[in-house]
Amino acid sequence: MLELYHWEPNTFSLKTLIALKEKGLAFESRYLDPTDFSGEARLPALNLEAENNPETEGPILVHEGQAITESFFILEYLDDAFPDAPLRPGDPEGDWKVRVWARFLGERTAPGVATLGCKAYLVPALRERRLNDASVLDRFKNPERRVAWEQALTDSYSKADLAESRRKVALTVEKIEEALAQSDWLAAERYTMADIAAFAFVNCLPKLAPEVCNEDAAPRTMAWLERIRARPAVREALAMSRTGRPDEAFAPGPEHARWG
Amino acid sequence: MLTLYHWEPNANSGKPILTLEEKGVEFESRYIDLLNFDQHSPDYLKINPNGTIPAMVHDGRMLYESTAMMEYVDEAFDGPPLRPTDPVERWRMRWWMKFLDQFYSPSASMIGWNAFIGPSVRDRDPEELKRKIDAIPLPERRVVWTKAIYGTFSEAELAESARRVRYGAKLMEEQLTRHAWLAGETFSLADINAMNLVYFMPANPLGAVSAEKTPRTMEWLYKMAERPATRRAWARGKTMTTERLKHLVRPSQQSA
Ligand SMILES: N[C@@H](CCC(=O)N[C@@H](CS)C(=O)NCC(=O)O)C(=O)O
Repeated sequence: MLELYHWEPNTFSLKTLIALKEKGLAFESRYLDPTDFSGEARLPALNLEAENNPETEGPILVHEGQAITESFFILEYLDDAFPDAPLRPGDPEGDWKVRVWARFLGERTAPGVATLGCKAYLVPALRERRLNDASVLDRFKNPERRVAWEQALTDSYSKADLAESRRKVALTVEKIEEALAQSDWLAAERYTMADIAAFAFVNCLPKLAPEVCNEDAAPRTMAWLERIRARPAVREALAMSRTGRPDEAFAPGPEHARWG
Repeated sequence: MLTLYHWEPNANSGKPILTLEEKGVEFESRYIDLLNFDQHSPDYLKINPNGTIPAMVHDGRMLYESTAMMEYVDEAFDGPPLRPTDPVERWRMRWWMKFLDQFYSPSASMIGWNAFIGPSVRDRDPEELKRKIDAIPLPERRVVWTKAIYGTFSEAELAESARRVRYGAKLMEEQLTRHAWLAGETFSLADINAMNLVYFMPANPLGAVSAEKTPRTMEWLYKMAERPATRRAWARGKTMTTERLKHLVRPSQQSA
């Protein structure tokens, strides 16, 4: 049996929902809102890796009792465990390209998009709820996560943090635009998990970063977004939203790299 | 035809070297001297415009990102498989590689660059150093070189890096207490990745890896050092990396 612990179809969760749907795999959906502090989060049994997951609020796949974490590695896992309808190109060069995209998206795009998304949507939502910051922070055992949540609760994103995040988001759109000049898809002549992984972060950008993600500045990216949104699996994944505004669902993402 | 542009068998450069040695793939080695800024020279930038090492050219195609490169080598060549067939072990291999690449290694590197890389180049002509820094293509790498050369890593960031290295060493010890190898019961690219970041730790003043604190990790290091591929890989070193490997011998086997 497959279970997916996930939140709204945006960023990390969206990636895994699309992959499951594309592969036609049946799964139990366990909806988990990481910004809801009203009760205890009901997590599955974790292993050493899952407990130390830098994407703690990200999705968790449970396959026959085994917790699999890190959204991109969930996609790789699905292709390894269920080889039908492969989402990797399947040749050494194509697979290498997919993994280079994944590294870039995870290391540069993810923290950039998450910081801008938290500033735009999470900060005002948290303020409205008048939470007790100390009791919320007590929930986080991992020091990196605690720092990330403290930033959101106290709205302490510096000008430099925001500028660096905008730089990373702009760089992402630039790279995608450049790749799409060569081919309709990012890593091969066909749609692959590189497109899924990138789409998961870029789908929300026309609203979150309209200055870089628009028809004039990034026409190929906008057309690629439309091609992906038209896929039945993607529609189904996006339709799993409970709020009706999945592209506003943000929690503090992985930290910005401390080293080049 | 396979050409590898690399520095010492250490960190990112050592990952593809050891992978190719384990796989038994012949390659042409091009030594890029990081301390001489060879990686930012116009000739090298024609190969890898990022100005980082390693880079690999296989049948005219340029590959970068050392971890993705390792999976490429395993996929493209015959030889012993270096990725487990069990999907869960394969996932664990990738989890550990990301943990090493993005959590452990940046912190270990900061400590190493502060203690070793910075001091080894600092005394050169200041004007020349400034020109070298200006020639670095990636903004992230420019920041790192600037801090290393002028010794401006803050106390707070160095302390945070030390905490992370200790934490990483502890987690690895926990894993190696449960399993023979990082991904589980199969030797994999995760061990190759880790070897390149941990082999020098027993000699590091931080004391994060030692017979007392991390006996299982020491045992794993001895096993890694005994592998013929490891010996061949480290024999390619031109600095003290080769020397460090020689110290990784079980106490029972040290000559009196
Ligand atoms: N993520 C890249 C990082 C490459 C990288 O930064 N390599 C370092 C050496 S370990 C480098 O080139 N440093 C020299 C410089 O930045 O000038 C990889 O894994 O290949």
